[in-house]
Amino acid sequence: MNNERLKSITLGLIVVVGMSCAALLVRWTDTLRPPVDPNAMDESLYLNDKTARRMSLGFNGLAADWYWMRSLQYVGKKLINSTGDISLDDLSGLNMKLLAPLLDTATTLDPEFIEPYEYGAVVLPAIDVQQAIRLTEKGIKANPNAWRLYHHLGYIYWRQGQYQLASETYARGAQVPGAPAWMEAMTAKIQSEGGSRSTAREIYARMYEQSTDDQVRRMASKHLMRLDSLDQQDGLRKVFAAYQARTGRCPDSWRELGPIFRAVGIPMDQAAAPLDPSGAPYLLKAGACEVELDRKTTKVPLK
Amino acid sequence: MDAQLRTLDTAQATTHYEKSKLGGSGSLWRMSAIARNAFREAVRDRVLYNLVLFVLLLTAASIFIGELSGGQERKVIVDLGLSAMLLFGMFIAIFVGVGLVYKEIERRTIYAVFSKPVGRGEFLVGKYLGLCLTLLVNVLVMGVGVSVALLYVSRGWDPLIPTIWPAVLLIYLELMLLTAVALLFSSFSSPALSALLTFLTFVIGHFSADLKTLAVSLGSTGARLFFTALYYLLPNLSNYSFITPAAHGRTPAAGFVFATAFYAFVYIAVILAAATLIFSRRNFK
Repeated sequence: MNNERLKSITLGLIVVVGMSCAALLVRWTDTLRPPVDPNAMDESLYLNDKTARRMSLGFNGLAADWYWMRSLQYVGKKLINSTGDISLDDLSGLNMKLLAPLLDTATTLDPEFIEPYEYGAVVLPAIDVQQAIRLTEKGIKANPNAWRLYHHLGYIYWRQGQYQLASETYARGAQVPGAPAWMEAMTAKIQSEGGSRSTAREIYARMYEQSTDDQVRRMASKHLMRLDSLDQQDGLRKVFAAYQARTGRCPDSWRELGPIFRAVGIPMDQAAAPLDPSGAPYLLKAGACEVELDRKTTKVPLK
Repeated sequence: MDAQLRTLDTAQATTHYEKSKLGGSGSLWRMSAIARNAFREAVRDRVLYNLVLFVLLLTAASIFIGELSGGQERKVIVDLGLSAMLLFGMFIAIFVGVGLVYKEIERRTIYAVFSKPVGRGEFLVGKYLGLCLTLLVNVLVMGVGVSVALLYVSRGWDPLIPTIWPAVLLIYLELMLLTAVALLFSSFSSPALSALLTFLTFVIGHFSADLKTLAVSLGSTGARLFFTALYYLLPNLSNYSFITPAAHGRTPAAGFVFATAFYAFVYIAVILAAATLIFSRRNFK
């Protein structure tokens, strides 16, 4: 082996071994760093929205994407660190103080970027409803032809129980060229039966249809599942009432109602327990003519 | 090897200059010879290797961005692709642009060129066109790369594909402007200072709207005039930023593209004239 070759091999080995050592050292220093409570820890924004726009030069679209992805990761990280099944529209307990400024910056950098407005309209009301309204109004101002934003603003008002404002917002959205006919129908529906289950079903069904965000669609789908479950529970209570009228008592087990479920076509498991929309069996409160979701197995949101 | 090739290039180019003495459109012929030479040199200097990095960036983005962007991969691909095109192009325009003249002086090949009947203006414009050709190839390949990435993430035709090309054209015009600025600075200062000044021009060029706002909001007449003058004198590069609207499927109006192209050509002509003026006064004896 000549000297040159030996030198090359030695240098190559130094590079490989040195890089491996560096990686190991990084891992080691990571373990030495004191642990931080992930819920207490909060990153800070690099820049505020106006400065970020100025500093982005011609790259504001890319910077907006960066802030959008950071928003998603911010929420994702909080969700991973949390325990239990948390719905996207009820993240109030997760200390999300940076979400509004992150979404605000993304939309200042790229005012036509609709998804951050929509995401904010779904997630922010539980954290800070005024911020949610402000962000969605900002989106409407920048994109007056985006009827979906009126739908989301109407949804925020509807969730707050402000049915008059929700109805007016849907009415404004219905005037936008290209808005679907159901926006007009929603105006009347909220006006006449604001807090009803059928209004909720209509809103979540439209949200599921229209949203391009998987998380929002999942959230809408869960709400629809819950609404279906509430309908099912009402149906089961009717069955209990009929059974009680016939026998003078409440059923002690699902098996007693099995023939009725079979006749009506209600899906059941092997123990004749009816299944909720997520496929988990309902629990019967024996002797009380009452039904409830099984918290351990169901995927239907409880509230 | 490189030095030999460069000498060969210079020899070829000067042969072209010799031929041009016989031709009718001599000046154009000479400039095109220098431009081809500058292009070949850029290729040999591995300037186009940045395309490999670009392709890797887009490939990684196409595969992984879907996971991170919440279903916005098409927008992110366009933003990332066109921004990278502008960024890489800017680096080429600055770092290659400032060395166009300087390298010829340092290698002393400029003496061989000027011993032939080649005007200094022809030399500068030829060099400029050569780098513009390099940037054109770069931008075209990157544009195709973004289109292919869109085809991949959309699993077929994507309506954003035709809308990115007007934005690509505007990016190219911006890079042409920036190259001219780099050439101007390099005609009288060192490469490091030229690169810094060109980069600052790029930054200020994107702040031009703020300069105008500043001029309007200032109380003092002198300051107002100063910032208004700056607004009109510095290249208005913010007009060439059409990346974000392109990512939303919007295209600029034909009139706007024409106006910005016309502005770019006028500005480039002015800068090249100024560069030639300065360069003509330099003593190479």
